[in-house]
Amino acid sequence: MRGADYVIKRTAFALVTVFVAVTLNFALFRLAPGSAVTDLSRVPHATPELRQALKKQFGLDKSKGAQYVIYLKQLVHGNLGVSFANEQPVSTNLRVALINTLPMVLLGTLFAIVIGTLTGVIAAWRRGTPTEAVTVTSALGFYSMPTHWLGLMLIIIFAGTLPTGGMTNEFLINPSFWTHFRDLAAHITLPSLTLGLVLYGEYTLIVRSAMLETLGEDYILTARAKGLKPWTIVRRHALRNAMLPVATLVALSLGYIVAGAILIETVFSWPGIGRAVYDAVLQRDYPMLQGAFLLLTISVVFFNLVADLLYFKLDPRITE
Amino acid sequence: MSSVLIEAPTAPALSRRGVVLRTLRRNPAAVIGASILLVIAFCAVFAPLIAPYGLHTQVGPVFGHPSWKHPVGLDDGGIDMVTLLMWGARISLIVGFAATFVSMAIGGTVGVLAGYFGGKVDTILMRITDYFLVIPDVPLMIVVAAIWGPSLFHIVIVIGILLWTGTARVIRAQVKSVRERVYVKRARALGAGHLRIVVRHVLPQVAPLLIANTVLTIAVAIFDETALSFLGLGDPSRTSLGKVIENAFERAAISSGAWWAIVPPGGLVALIILGCSLVGGSMEDALNPRLRVAHLSARTFRLRPLVGRNDAL
Amino acid sequence: MQARRLAIVGVVLAVCVFAAAASGSERKSGGTFRLGTSSRIDSLNPFVAFNQDAYSTFEYIYPELIQYDKANRNFAPDFATSWKASNGGKTWTFKTRGGAVWSDGQPLTSADAAWTINTALKYKGGATANSAGLIAHITRADAPTPTTLVVHYAAALGNVLGQFQQFPILPKHIWSQHTGHKGNDLKSFPNNAPVVGAGPFNLIKFTKDQIALFQRNDKFYGPKPNVDAFGLQMFSNDDALVAALKHHDIDAIEDVPATAIKTLRGSGFTVKQVPGLDHTDFIVNSNPKKTKHRELLDPRVKTAMDYAIDRAQIVRVVFLGAAHPGDSIISPSSGAWYNPAVKPTPFNLAKANGILDGLGYKKGSDGIRVANGSRMSYDVITPTDVHSIPRTFQIIQAAFRKIGIELKQKSLDSSAAFDAITAPNGKYTDFDLSMWDWVGLVDPDFMLSVVTCEQYGGWSDSGFCDKTYDAMYSKQQLTPNQAKRRAIVWQMQKYLQQRKPYLWLANLDNVSAYSSNWTGIVTSPQGPFNSISKVSLTSIQQK
Repeated sequence: MRGADYVIKRTAFALVTVFVAVTLNFALFRLAPGSAVTDLSRVPHATPELRQALKKQFGLDKSKGAQYVIYLKQLVHGNLGVSFANEQPVSTNLRVALINTLPMVLLGTLFAIVIGTLTGVIAAWRRGTPTEAVTVTSALGFYSMPTHWLGLMLIIIFAGTLPTGGMTNEFLINPSFWTHFRDLAAHITLPSLTLGLVLYGEYTLIVRSAMLETLGEDYILTARAKGLKPWTIVRRHALRNAMLPVATLVALSLGYIVAGAILIETVFSWPGIGRAVYDAVLQRDYPMLQGAFLLLTISVVFFNLVADLLYFKLDPRITE
Repeated sequence: MSSVLIEAPTAPALSRRGVVLRTLRRNPAAVIGASILLVIAFCAVFAPLIAPYGLHTQVGPVFGHPSWKHPVGLDDGGIDMVTLLMWGARISLIVGFAATFVSMAIGGTVGVLAGYFGGKVDTILMRITDYFLVIPDVPLMIVVAAIWGPSLFHIVIVIGILLWTGTARVIRAQVKSVRERVYVKRARALGAGHLRIVVRHVLPQVAPLLIANTVLTIAVAIFDETALSFLGLGDPSRTSLGKVIENAFERAAISSGAWWAIVPPGGLVALIILGCSLVGGSMEDALNPRLRVAHLSARTFRLRPLVGRNDAL
Repeated sequence: MQARRLAIVGVVLAVCVFAAAASGSERKSGGTFRLGTSSRIDSLNPFVAFNQDAYSTFEYIYPELIQYDKANRNFAPDFATSWKASNGGKTWTFKTRGGAVWSDGQPLTSADAAWTINTALKYKGGATANSAGLIAHITRADAPTPTTLVVHYAAALGNVLGQFQQFPILPKHIWSQHTGHKGNDLKSFPNNAPVVGAGPFNLIKFTKDQIALFQRNDKFYGPKPNVDAFGLQMFSNDDALVAALKHHDIDAIEDVPATAIKTLRGSGFTVKQVPGLDHTDFIVNSNPKKTKHRELLDPRVKTAMDYAIDRAQIVRVVFLGAAHPGDSIISPSSGAWYNPAVKPTPFNLAKANGILDGLGYKKGSDGIRVANGSRMSYDVITPTDVHSIPRTFQIIQAAFRKIGIELKQKSLDSSAAFDAITAPNGKYTDFDLSMWDWVGLVDPDFMLSVVTCEQYGGWSDSGFCDKTYDAMYSKQQLTPNQAKRRAIVWQMQKYLQQRKPYLWLANLDNVSAYSSNWTGIVTSPQGPFNSISKVSLTSIQQK
């Protein structure tokens, strides 16, 4: 029954964390100097009447406590409020933005896993040789690069060949499925490649560590003695061992990746949630910010929980 | 960096420092990392004396091409890039150190307290750590820098507040293992006070690991500051490397063909981070290769180098 | 024989010439004009929107009574074909187009115009506060016939046409359904694409921060566009924007970053550079009630500062020559409204030092002067979204150090910056200095209004409040005679130049770039996509 115990405990913890995050969210934004009303009133030919109108509309003249209660009530009903900037439901804005970010981020993670696993295997197999040193160093090298800078470098290199901004060619009217697909593929390449390159280093090191550990085990010696080919050994035993930390890392990463996409989306004009967060900050769009922040925090909590449960399920050796 | 499988020495603490030095000497990666850092640190520290031109002096046209007089060209204000790189490294390193100091102080304290006292204290502190862990860092940094203004002080505090969790977890695990050492138990039996034990016995054990963690955290802090600057939330009066990149980017350097305004500063940041990762990683390796910390501390998501790298095992 | 051959040759030649002439003037119509920008459209609802590109959108999808002509100087008909003032200027009668329709087929008449005006009036304290300034002094609008609009004023105004130039007319049959909740529904109506409009284009697709697609409206009451469609693609940074143009993913850029002008010109793109309506400024808190550093209220100190600004260097380094030294609150692009007697202050450090020495502000050991017991060290509030400010500030800071004044940049995002300027609570007593920019309009009323006492908490970012000036402002608003109005406007500019709430830095050129296969380019001080007239994008066509 330790299993059920563990699951319940972690889930409960996750829920409490969400509540703390919600409150923290609210407190953080309400302590801000400056008011959102300020920017919204910068209309050509503004009159003092305008500022009052806006204050009333968005409930900004109420006390902080009252605003917090309004916020919680709406949250329970799944209502994240209305964006100050475009007066649309925050949840709608976030949903659209998230849908844009996810493919790019998932593809980037996939790149990272593939490249990382390959280089990790090579590094472990060729342990002690210059190959290993080169592999590990370049993995670390890419990992050390500032994300946005690497993005800019890729733009410099690929400016003539691949599109360097936006998600699609917006001027394709009613394209066929394949044209549309090719267009999306062309646009998603550089951003996800950037993400993959800065991420893969971690996977390299993890896969390499896990493999080195496994390769030292007795049953591997036995397998080699039995005449099994190296690649089979790697595939059947070592890699499987490495998959646990890799899976855990992926689960953990996904929660943060969405947040980390801000830099990539800014460089590549990608209309995702990272850019939405940044724009919301610039425009002091508090409901959008609170909603985005909440979304990001909850996704981190959620994926941490997933990683916890995954780790527990896959590795019974864990002790709390 | 190349040996993960060093058997954890069971010898007493005194040889720890020796292990570190020996490993560093034997370990080419760490040596390379250290050399990189030393060169950059030298240029940074002596920038006011050895920088070839003035930091605010226009010496040529906007985005002037690289030439013999200006090997890395000029930026968007006609200022010499070599000068900017030196001063930029200086500012970036200062931010890195300052932020790391804050996070080290907080994280170290929390880690020692949690690991040493255990029980309720441990649980509470770790819960707090967990709450901080789930805060998405880049959005928080953006929000705080945007709300309270992009001054150097704010940036240092923000980064420091976000980074201490990694340190706390690593230190906690180390402290826990030290606490079980025979000589510590003996000291308790002899009636030594907590503070004395912590200072006399725990801290020396923990210090090397703390230093290793610090080096890694510096890398993260510099990265974070670069990211913040790029997003326009850095301190405008300080020309950190991140700010140099941002200035160039804001003025469409790439479209003007002025790659020298963007590639070198970012490359320098990457070098600093790489150097720190190599050195810090090697030290962590040497000190405690089998450090088993719960995977939840693997707050290793992108945006930062491998703090607590061994954790996923 | 000879004669006939000659005749044949003659005919053939004539045919050739005729054919050549015909094909020479024959241009390709159709196609999609793809315009790129690094700014954005924040909302499609005229009661909510703030960004310039949103207003440019309204210009192209909605009828307005008036627009500017091709030269961007004089008023020209748009939905109104003629107008007449009567009753001492308190009644304006507009004749509007007959037989016009909205994009959904419903008739477009003066009743729509009257409804829009009256609705704006009705809720000007609430939902329609955005446009309250445009309809100031109006009491009522009537539509006695489908082609007649009568607007009643409380007093005779000098800028009726200028105000209506910016007032989009909305379809009554759509918007009257959204006046519930005391008119507040007007602001929550998203007005999503496809928008019911009646401009030369219809907005058929809009994805925020990405793309706005406009299709030619063949039912437009005015000259129809040559292109089938045009699109505005929004980029989050300048490099992506320029890269897209170079890669031919877009056909034109509405606002080219200064550093990219040279490479675009060199790559075979058509670059149009015209004096623009954007000008950058250095703001000195001129609130007579300010508490600290009251030496900044002294016009001599401001003059000294003015002499220490190297405008030539700013134009050269920050704008790479695509600008002119600034001088007046009204840009030269406003045409006759600009007072040419107001000239940029020359750069003269010796003179600046002389003035400050003469005031007895001695330099301390650190080189910074002391005025009335406090160091002349000031925070300069700067908004993060004006890209030219960082480099400009550095130039000014270096020069001011040479006259013994220390400047520290306080970079905030625009709403926080504005709060810092108006602190505390709209009293404008705290801040000392700031930097910002203004995008004016051709009619001077708006720019002149920003330094009135009434604009405290509204548009004012200088704290300037002067009874004499306010009286002049009121006067020009209520002077129907344009020549007399101009005289007052000129007088106001001279008045401000002496009191210097703003030290004007540079009047920016508007630089736009086009692929070489486009012609019929009509520029404006606001660029090809503007809220000045419907001319630019109706004229553009492929070669």
